[in-house]
Amino acid sequence: MKARFINSLFRTVLVVALTLFIVNVAFSQKERTLILGAYTVPKEAYEKEVIPAFQVYWKQKTGEVVKFEESYVASGAQARAIIGGLEADVAALSLEGDLQKVVEAGLITHDWKSGPNKGMVTRSVVAIGYRPGNPKNIWDWDDLTKPGIEVLYPNPKTSGGAMWDVNAIYGAGLMISEMKTGKPDPAYAENLLMAVQKNVKVMDKSGRESVSTFERGIGDALVTYENEILLRQMEGKDLPFVVPKATILIENPTAIVDKYVDKHGTREVAEAFVEFCFNEQSQRAFAKYGFRPVVPKIAEEFKDKYPVPEMLFDINYLGGWGEVEKTIYGADGVWTRIVERIATGK
Amino acid sequence: MKTLSNSGVLGGDVLLKTAVFSYVGILVILPILYVSFQALGQGFGKVWADILQPSALFSLKLTFFSAIGMAVINAITGVAMAWVMVRHNFPGKPIINSLIDLPFALPTNVTGLMLVILYGPVSLLGKFLKIRGIEIIYAQPGIILALLFVTFPFVVRSVQPVLMELDKDIEEAAATLGARKFTTFRKVILPHLMPSILTGVALAFSRALGEFGSVVVVAGNIPMKTQVAPVFIYGEIESYNPRGALAVSLVLLIASLLILMLLNVLQKWGRERGT
Repeated sequence: MKARFINSLFRTVLVVALTLFIVNVAFSQKERTLILGAYTVPKEAYEKEVIPAFQVYWKQKTGEVVKFEESYVASGAQARAIIGGLEADVAALSLEGDLQKVVEAGLITHDWKSGPNKGMVTRSVVAIGYRPGNPKNIWDWDDLTKPGIEVLYPNPKTSGGAMWDVNAIYGAGLMISEMKTGKPDPAYAENLLMAVQKNVKVMDKSGRESVSTFERGIGDALVTYENEILLRQMEGKDLPFVVPKATILIENPTAIVDKYVDKHGTREVAEAFVEFCFNEQSQRAFAKYGFRPVVPKIAEEFKDKYPVPEMLFDINYLGGWGEVEKTIYGADGVWTRIVERIATGK
Repeated sequence: MKTLSNSGVLGGDVLLKTAVFSYVGILVILPILYVSFQALGQGFGKVWADILQPSALFSLKLTFFSAIGMAVINAITGVAMAWVMVRHNFPGKPIINSLIDLPFALPTNVTGLMLVILYGPVSLLGKFLKIRGIEIIYAQPGIILALLFVTFPFVVRSVQPVLMELDKDIEEAAATLGARKFTTFRKVILPHLMPSILTGVALAFSRALGEFGSVVVVAGNIPMKTQVAPVFIYGEIESYNPRGALAVSLVLLIASLLILMLLNVLQKWGRERGT
């Protein structure tokens, strides 16, 4: 009696285990999961266009279903999360400096800049948003220095992305002085940045919060990315903007995270996804959601939507990210000095 | 039988003590020690230099002065509120009584947003004050306002039970001896309430030093102007400078510890004087 009971129990367990095993094998053959660790701004473009299109493409190519687990937080926080153990197969961040931290942590071991367009999947520029009808006549950086103008941009210390804003103003100062005298003048640039910073009313934690504060009616001008403003316009908000004559070209990197793709066995599909982000279809999708395309052919298609500013410069004009982190944001950097100069009135 | 149950209770006590100490150790002491060692591990000189860096030092000053401002206001309004709740009857008293604790339940960034909407430069009140040159939001008054809101229950709730216990006979005795109402309050009631007021104020003060969620929304966060220490710390962490963040955190921790220790001494002194 007892033996029979144990026997039947044993058989049941065996059958259940076998079934689970088969189901597991069957599914693991057909379904893959890719974890995307991204910053917040391209969320709509990935979620609504790029990822669904890639899923269709991968299914047709290999017969496998790719499921995505997507995480969207501020770029710096995302970099720290990935370093801290969020096992993202693909990292899509807002600036090279953040991706570099993942490299320094030993998680990205390949040369991510060797890919198409040096690993930069989207572009944008720093722009100035103003109130409908432009009551305060805001057209360029100089207009932000006028007395009584209230300016918003996030704190570059709390939002890595906000470094683009400060870089844009400082670099524009260098660019303008170079146009005038033939040589970039750091003192001129520092004074321009200081004059704008004096008018800054609120420094929010992130770019998105800064836009929200502006929409709540605070401030006359908002310094932020062109794509952030275009996204708000798509949502039906009345947020006009101007691209200053001299401004910085924003480039956003994407790379596979070697340590995690090897652990998950997803290298092949992750690499395919990153490559897919550079195809015409994806680039068009990014362009639709406010980003400037990196592929020349698509950039040409959108040249009316995205006119190239007269004096456009990139991060290398300021010496690259490594240099900027020291000379602008370091303990003796321009930004640090300006904040102290304003506070002490010198 | 009796001795057996006694030893059982004793054994249970030892077990309970061990459990409680391990719990406090894991939950409170370990993280705090970790922060302290991480900060001091860099060497005292470096920590000191990080604290003396102008924007760090400024943020600490702003935090302390705002917390002191909050504490003074909170001590007065908290006692007044407790007095009204204990000594007076009015319709809706139970509702008001339960409303007191509500600031604890509200997520602090919601608190901040609410204050911006009510008193910000775009609100009616904000516009009215701005014409008169008064700024609340994106200035220090806004910080104090946020701190007052999030720490409101502390003083009321620590004074209320003591006031309830207080014998009305003493007051009546004082009154029959010819003391005026305010004199009675100052000379008779206040000394009794003092330990509980200090408890409430110290708790509120410690809480205020670390407050982030509401302040980051209302302060404006401009370095060396409206940036408090917790926001400065957040910025250092976000810009990959944990050392600077730890150094400033350490100052907040030590300040809180000193205040809470001082409070214990004061309470002991209060008890001894009371008996």
